[in-house]
Amino acid sequence: MIASGIKRGTAELAVLSVLESGALHGYEIARRIEQQTKGSLRFTLAALYPMLYRLEKQRLIRGTWETSPNGRRRRCYRLTPAGKKSLAPLRGEWSKLFAALHRLARVSNA
Amino acid sequence: MPDWQKLVRQRLHGIALDDDDTAQVVEELASHLEEDYQFSVAAGAPEQLAIRRALRHVHDWNDLKSQIESSRQKELPMTRRVSQFWFPGFLTLLLAMALLMLIEAIGPKPWVSPAWGGPPRMAPVAVVYFSWLLTLPFVGALGAYLSNRAGARRWAVFCCVTFPIFPYLAFFMIGLPLAAILDDHVAHNIVLPAFFIGFGAWVLLPALALLGGGLPVHYFSGRKA
Repeated sequence: MIASGIKRGTAELAVLSVLESGALHGYEIARRIEQQTKGSLRFTLAALYPMLYRLEKQRLIRGTWETSPNGRRRRCYRLTPAGKKSLAPLRGEWSKLFAALHRLARVSNA
Repeated sequence: MPDWQKLVRQRLHGIALDDDDTAQVVEELASHLEEDYQFSVAAGAPEQLAIRRALRHVHDWNDLKSQIESSRQKELPMTRRVSQFWFPGFLTLLLAMALLMLIEAIGPKPWVSPAWGGPPRMAPVAVVYFSWLLTLPFVGALGAYLSNRAGARRWAVFCCVTFPIFPYLAFFMIGLPLAAILDDHVAHNIVLPAFFIGFGAWVLLPALALLGGGLPVHYFSGRKA
């Protein structure tokens, strides 16, 4: 497991990245991140929703209520144009950080 | 299966969001917990274990509540404190002082407590502006209204309503005792009964008058919400 301080910094990038492929509701976002990182990043409800609300306030994502075929109402989040635009610089910053760490301490970003 | 919405509503009780926002947050978090519970049950976990696993998502509901409040509220925390506390508090103070100055200048004369027994005193024991006290419930009501409207909690509303007495409270509780200890020329003639009469006239009576106007406004606007 990755230390919580670093996780907090990567959380925003993780959420925006999984939403790049399409709209997802909160539970799906958490599951998708956990699956794609093979359990290294795990979001509890307490960590996920305050961040989703913050990203929504920053207008990087937008949440809308949708009703699934089985009648369950869920809030689905999708990237806004501003969110899509913010992804590339965010990725760049993290790549730079990993490259710097690699040079410094042989930390690989692979 | 537990009633997840009821459970989340109970745990987030008192969250400082408007009703519509609170309902949305409750529904969304309850839906997440329910899906987690159903996932565990589908994977073969007994019901109690599935419930425990779902609830493990939140270690501290109060912390989650304050995080959701700060992430969903439209204003910055500083702006919120200004609108909920500092602005109504200083407005009630300013208004109360302006009214006192006005009454001193053109209003009816204050009631001056008579000196009891012995030679006449050089300074009056207490000066009570009853006409000022009669205006204070309106000042308190205004403070409570503004603070309530900004979504302040009960203690913040209480402090806003009683804000005009804070300078007097500080004078009687800190200034006067310090003066009596440090400088015997300043407070050499202060006797204990005079202290209590002054405290009653400038702190207790104004506080009661302010609360007399502020508390009904807080109570009724709270009921309406």
